[in-house]
Amino acid sequence: MVGNRKRWHNPVLYTLASITLLIMIYPYLHMVMHSLAVWDQVDRNFFPTKFTLRSYQWLLLGAEDVQPRPWLRAFLNSMFVTISSTLLMMLTAVLAGYALSKFVFKGKKAVNNVILFQMFFPSIILLIPSFLIVKQLGLYDTYWGMILPKSVSLWAIFMYTNFFKVIPNDLIEAAKLDGASEFHILFRIVLPMSRSITTIVFLFLFMERWVELLWDMLIVKGQQHLTLNVLLAQMFGPYGAYPGPMYAASVILTVPIILLFLACSKYFKEGIQFALK
Amino acid sequence: MSRREHRVLGWLFTSPYLLYSLVFFLIPLCWAMYLAFSDWNLISPVYNMVGLGNFKKALENPGVRSAFWVTYKFMAFFVPIVVTGSLLVSLLVNSLPRYKSLFLVGYFLPYLASGVATSLVVKGVLSYNSPLNEWLRGSWNLTIDWLGSPVSALLIVAVIIAWKFIGYYSLILTSGLESIPTEVYEAAAIDGVTGWSRFWRITLPMLYPALFTVLILSAGVTFGIFTEVYILTKGGPDNATNTWQMEIFTQAFSKLDAGYGSAIAILASVVTFASIYVIRKLMEKWGDRYGWE
Repeated sequence: MVGNRKRWHNPVLYTLASITLLIMIYPYLHMVMHSLAVWDQVDRNFFPTKFTLRSYQWLLLGAEDVQPRPWLRAFLNSMFVTISSTLLMMLTAVLAGYALSKFVFKGKKAVNNVILFQMFFPSIILLIPSFLIVKQLGLYDTYWGMILPKSVSLWAIFMYTNFFKVIPNDLIEAAKLDGASEFHILFRIVLPMSRSITTIVFLFLFMERWVELLWDMLIVKGQQHLTLNVLLAQMFGPYGAYPGPMYAASVILTVPIILLFLACSKYFKEGIQFALK
Repeated sequence: MSRREHRVLGWLFTSPYLLYSLVFFLIPLCWAMYLAFSDWNLISPVYNMVGLGNFKKALENPGVRSAFWVTYKFMAFFVPIVVTGSLLVSLLVNSLPRYKSLFLVGYFLPYLASGVATSLVVKGVLSYNSPLNEWLRGSWNLTIDWLGSPVSALLIVAVIIAWKFIGYYSLILTSGLESIPTEVYEAAAIDGVTGWSRFWRITLPMLYPALFTVLILSAGVTFGIFTEVYILTKGGPDNATNTWQMEIFTQAFSKLDAGYGSAIAILASVVTFASIYVIRKLMEKWGDRYGWE
């Protein structure tokens, strides 16, 4: 009886789930379709019928009346800033997380409390003075100005601390008896055991850094250190006059992160279970 | 390992974090407090201490007032949309016999989108000659200035951000649903509790911890909106989408009034902190009724 009902249910449920999926990814499809559409169909036809690479060509090479913008450079800048910043955040989190979960020292509790306090602290208050500090340090309009202020993630420290706590101490003691140093234990034994959580942390940090607009906008001045997000906002923000290239640029901004996610999706499922606990 | 080694390595391993916290948390925090009482304009070498002047100016300023109200109006749109949306999605996914995680990964994709890119797409879809607007004009004789009218502009921003977060929150809710033991449902079925009343009396109370997380997270998102507003409306029309971050950005970096901007930032932080605290307390009260600690 129940089986019959379920059999009747299933196709309906899968249809609903698929329609929802289509709605969720539609903006991406729209972006791709219209970036490839001929210009008189962009934003005019719901489904474009003729396709061209003109929008991408316009972006990368410019046109008679439009200077080409440094897209490639901005793309590489974004990559460099995001990767450096993410790796630093991971490194500081792994070190702090290991210390807070496996070492016994006076003041540890205080450090833990400070981290919790910072996590719940409204960070908006820090925006203006952080900018001034970066300026004071001579890092205005530099890569470091974008990387250093985003070199620690409290969330990542929190995640690693909790994850390392679960790793048995016996394992670490055994390695120590074999003469392994703390660094060796952390990077050769403990970290490889944390692959699922590392994937999640990396993915979320990379993503957050990749889409950052406000901070980069404050730090970048000229063309040299432009990131992709800032370039896009500058070019199409207030008065977007070229819809085709606008979609093409959005595609360029979105594709790397989607590829990264799909590449990680195997570990994503494992890691997210822990992250949501 | 000796106690001394524990101590030395403990501080050594946490030192990058501590150094960062000094330079990018403690010093900025003190500096913000100091700046808020000055009239510094980011450029000139001389400036005055103006006491509570900046705060007084802020409280009387329509931009600051709008930021205060816009945040709650935004919350009134955003939180119900994102919570209902992710709840529906997670109930749907949870009832699928197979391919659950495949769908969950698919629904998560919007979370990856850059606010800049999605805002630009929305801008295109809502542009004057877009198929949507042509259709509304042609079939219904309707011309809607989507981003030009206060309510719809705010609603659009709320929908964009809800779209981004629904997949993420439904991951949290799905893992909450999965943790409800089937025995509870079986016992309920024996007592004849099914359908709607099963949802209201069993699923929802049992889901409370996950719902708590989602509500607090989504309320927190409300206080940090910038990118979408900056790209789509610049805070307009008539301050209708002027969020705290937008207001601070305008005052401190467009109008170069750093002291005044800092005062607004302090106000914003206090408001944020107090609001989240009240929401937490209300949620906990609700949880008490269900017997959660």
